[in-house]
This record gives sequence, C-alpha cells and structure tokens, in this order.
Amino acid sequence: MIQNIKNMKIKRILIANRGEIAVRIMNTARMMNIETVAVKTAVEPNAMYLTSADVIFDNTEDTSEIPVFLDIEKIAIALKTNANAVHPGYGFLAENAYFAQKCIDNKIIFIGPSPDAIYKMGNKTIARKIALAGGIPMAMGSEGNISNEEEAVVIAEKIGYPVIIKAASGGGGRGMRIVRKSEEMEKMFIIARKEAEKAFNDPSVFVEKYIENPKHIEFQILGDTKGNVIHLGERECSIQRKHQKLLEEAPSCALDEKLRKKMGTMAVQIAKAVDYHSAGTVEFLLDSDKNFYFMEMNTRIQVEHPVTEIITGIDLIEQQIRVANGEELKYKQSDIILNGWAIECRINAEDVQAGFAPDPGKIESLNMPSDPCVRVDTGVQAGSSIVASYDSMISKLIVKGKDRKEAIKNCKMALDKVWIKGTKTTLPFFRMLVRHQKFQDGTFTTTFIEKDIEKYYFNSEYEEMLAAWLATKLFVEENLNDDSINIDFKRGKEMSPWLLNKRINQF
Amino acid sequence: MANDKLQIKKLYALSSENRKFSFSLPLKQTIRIGKREYEVKLKADEKLGTYILWKNRKYPVEIVRSRQNKYEILFNDISYTFTVETPFSLQRMKVLNSKRGKVEQEFIKAPMPGKIIDVLVREGSTVLRGQPVLILEAMKMQNEILSPVNGVIVKVSARANTNVMKDDLLVEIKIS
Repeated sequence: MIQNIKNMKIKRILIANRGEIAVRIMNTARMMNIETVAVKTAVEPNAMYLTSADVIFDNTEDTSEIPVFLDIEKIAIALKTNANAVHPGYGFLAENAYFAQKCIDNKIIFIGPSPDAIYKMGNKTIARKIALAGGIPMAMGSEGNISNEEEAVVIAEKIGYPVIIKAASGGGGRGMRIVRKSEEMEKMFIIARKEAEKAFNDPSVFVEKYIENPKHIEFQILGDTKGNVIHLGERECSIQRKHQKLLEEAPSCALDEKLRKKMGTMAVQIAKAVDYHSAGTVEFLLDSDKNFYFMEMNTRIQVEHPVTEIITGIDLIEQQIRVANGEELKYKQSDIILNGWAIECRINAEDVQAGFAPDPGKIESLNMPSDPCVRVDTGVQAGSSIVASYDSMISKLIVKGKDRKEAIKNCKMALDKVWIKGTKTTLPFFRMLVRHQKFQDGTFTTTFIEKDIEKYYFNSEYEEMLAAWLATKLFVEENLNDDSINIDFKRGKEMSPWLLNKRINQF
Repeated sequence: MANDKLQIKKLYALSSENRKFSFSLPLKQTIRIGKREYEVKLKADEKLGTYILWKNRKYPVEIVRSRQNKYEILFNDISYTFTVETPFSLQRMKVLNSKRGKVEQEFIKAPMPGKIIDVLVREGSTVLRGQPVLILEAMKMQNEILSPVNGVIVKVSARANTNVMKDDLLVEIKIS
C-alpha cells in the first residue's frame, strides 16, 4: 500500500505520546520502514503502545509531577535514542510552538506544522484577526482579548446575548462559558478566566456571539512545504457533551456539494494564510440557515482523523511524515473523492448512568469486532489499566458503510459485538444514540445531548428483568443453599461464575 | 432457618427505581414472557468471561458489588441495583416505609471525585431548580453542580478548595 520510499531522511521517530495515537503512528511508521521510539513511564509501565515500538526509552525513574509528554526539555530523549524526528500525536505537546521550535533548534524533524503556524492559530485572538483579514465569515465579537467583565458586558450589549466567553489559548472545550444575560457575566467571566489560566497557563479571554443550536463541521487540511494546500472533506462532530466530542462522522449530511466546496475553499484559504503544512483541521459552526462561521484551526492530527481516512483512502499519518520529509503532496484537490460514510464512537471508561463520570480501572477483558466494515484504534488490551492521570479513552470504534444509513446499521451491529469488562463504558450511550430518531435523521446539533435526550443509555425490554433474575439467583445460592444450580463451564466445572469473578467487592 | 426455607415460595428483586420482579422458588432456568417460557443460561468462558445467554444472544454480566441482600449487577454495560426480598421482608419493608413518610430532603452528592472550587450558596439561602450551588473541578473541567429542586439550603458540607470523593455529601436542601 505504501510506496517505496526514496530519500527518506526520517529514520527513527520518537513518539512523544501514549495510548492509541502512539500505536496508530507506529503502525504507519512500520509500513514505511521507519523505526519508532516509545517512552515508558512510571504511570503505565505495561502499556500496550510500548509493545509496538522498536526502541523503548525507559523514563520510569522520573517521578516528576509533569508527565514526560508535557515536558519540553525532555526533548533530549530524542537525541539520546538517535531519533531524528518527533511525532507529538494529539494533546500534550502537539500544539506547542515552543516545543516545535526546540525540535528544529536541536536538528530534529518536527512532524507537524511550523512553529509560526502553531503559534498564530493557537492564539484564538490572532487567528480571528487572520480570518477577518481573509474575509472568512465569523461570529461577531471582541476585537482582541478583554480584561474585565464590564468590558465584556459592553461588547455583549453591542452584539446581543447570548455570547460565549472563550479562552484565547483555548482548545478542547475548556475555558468556555455561555452567557445569556448581563447578570450572569461577572460569574461566568471569572470562571472562564480561572479555567483558562489553569488549563492553558493564560487567563486571556475574548467574547463572541454565541451561535444557537449549530452543527460542528470541520475540514481536514493537508499542506506541504511547497505551498500546496488541499482539503479532504469535512467531518461532523456535533455529538458533544460539554464541548467534548463523543461521536464523529464523515462526511456530514448537512452539506451538499456546493456548500462543501465553499467551506472547503475557505478552510484552505485560512491554512494558506499561515503557510500551513502537515495535517490540520479548520473548525466551523453551521447554523440552521446554513450560514457558517470560522471557529478555530487545530494544528495537529485529531482524534477523529480515521473517519476522513476511511472515506478518502488516505493515510494522514503517512502524509504528515512525507510532508515532514520535505516531499510534495501527490494529491491535488481534484484527486480527493469522498467515498462512502464513516462513523467513529469514542469508547471511554465513563459511567453514562452517573453523568459520564470517569470510571478508571483495569480492563479485564476486551473483545472488539473484526468485521470488514469495522476499524478499531486502541491503546489498551486485556490487563491494561485506564489510569486517572490520562484521558479515559479505551478504544475508537470506526465503522463504515456505503452511505449513512448503512454506516449506522453497521455501527449498531458492531456496538453489540464490543465486550469490555472491568470498567463501565460509553457503549450504552452509543447504543442509544444509533437508535435515536434525531440522530438517524441527521437533524441533531451540538445541544443534542443537553436537550434532546431523555435517557442516556439503551437497554432492550428484558435486560433489567434478566439482571433481576441474576440477582435473585445469587441470593438463592448464597442464602437458601440451593443445590439445583449446575452450570457448564469449559474449565472449573464446579465453580460458580461469581466466584470466578474477581470484582465482588463489599458495599 | 430450615423451616423458613420451606416456606419461601417466592422472591422479589426490587430495583433502585422501585420496580418489582418476582420469581417463584425453586428458581427456574426460564423466564416467562406472555405465554412462552424462555430459557436463561448463566455461562462463562475464558474469552468473554461471565455472560447470560438469552434468546440466542449473549449478554456480558458482572457482579460489581454484593452485600447481604443487595446486589449491583452490570448487565450489558448497564448497572442495576437490586435488593432481593422474601415475602416476609417485603411486608416488613412496606410497614417501615409507610411510617417514614414522604422524602422532603434532597441530598446533593459529588457526581465524581474532584475539588470544590467555589460554594455558591449558604445555609438558609433559597435555591431554585437549576440554580448552581457549587463548582466542582474534575478531569480539568469546572462543573457547575445545579440544584435539582426548589428549596432552602439546610446544610453545606462542601468547603471551597477541598477535595471530595464520588458520592460525598455536599449540600442538603429542604424541598419546598
């Protein structure tokens, strides 16, 4: 699949990340005959991603509070392991301009965009100015950062409520607060600033008009160092909870060819304004009248990149590596054809019945479907632990179909084949979602989870009754000494399954 | 005990939402739906672990916790809590419940482990449904905890800048 590589300067890549994205990058590197280095940490010394690497850098003796993946100075690791390139994955150092610069200074190839592009797009106020200069449609808002709530109120009165306060250095939904009336401003302003300072080390915030009930539409961008930039179509990520994406799909049923072309052209224009190279994402909000507004550009590979890979047939990690190697893109815009439909479910260790509270723990067993329409990107296996210090993702279940209807049908089938034991997961949520009329119609917006759902999980008619039967059975065995129970096991014939179960704790 | 056992003809599994499922003893390996009996099998294998086989489909099951007659069961990734009662204990429970009367207090508990950033109410203050009572930071996100009821704050156990565990009691509200 991957062509013979002539003149590949990149010989060994240090993966400055963990989990599924580390595994994902290593898989492509292997196909390209490039070696990889993984960093072993004290938090996860037996993590799955370590088994995919050619070289392990043991950092387990490092017990500092800051994860190694966030420590810019530890770039020296790359030098020690003879890696001549670094892939930051997503999160951690992926959007840190200083880190990218540090790599370049140390003559290490940074697989990602230029430090300048990271900086400009990472600062939302600068990004707004760039978009504004390029005539990109945007929600009305403050010119730059605002320093106090009085100023915020003045702007909000001018553009009209509701408004949204956003962190200038923000991302991932943190440091954002919606304000619907002036009385709420002071409180929300303080919360947003606190959250921004804590999350991004920068309390700067700005205010913009809040677009009601929008769809989240983002365009995948690919650029090279020769000035070529193309887009790979859109993804819809409207299924979010507190600005955290849960399910993404490509393409979006809200776009027709004409709108796709218009938005895609704008996305490319924004990327070109910062001489963008490598993979990136331009995010828009789309209102019910199909007006779209530039939101931000993410200067990295994203969690949801697989849905684009499926409908375009392009390996985005491979393209990132090639571009970093100095190669020219072999695709033109006209070569990009969207084929079929793809849906990604983020299976997280979260308790849907307790407001999506994280449920860290040890994965006791993990069985994923192996159907041709399913791709699984995972960083865990049976025996792995979901640790509280990192995000709660277990696996990404990516399902395709020839059209949206078939993709949903396949997704429903695949969700029933996922068996994860040891922690609660978001599976019951997705089982509900794929059955929801509004999801099937495609009429949902980013407020879907907040407003349109009565029950956050799906269970079929008799499931509770079967669980009740099991509870009764346990009671009978424990209290009434019933000897009528004879269950066949492959192994340990006389043993009850609940004795095999190691998770019986006391209340 | 031996005598009791003979007398018990039925068991009831009461869900936390007060749904009642009754099963006659000895407990059968079938469940009746309408006029038909369907076989239920509890099985286990090395790959899938414990599961229930019902109408040709396998459902993963786990026993999360058990204590006395209380069981938390994870069935197809959803947890259910039941107390299993005999006809006698059920009767006793009914009597006790009728004496206790209606619930008038609302207890706000921490939905997840985290840190209290700010407490927005004081003892004696009135709250409306949906009004934020405190801010809890968890997984780097600041979450507003809202009052689920209209009422008066009777007790504030939460203190700003302290860590809380899941299910820690934060605020008590007298429903009005």
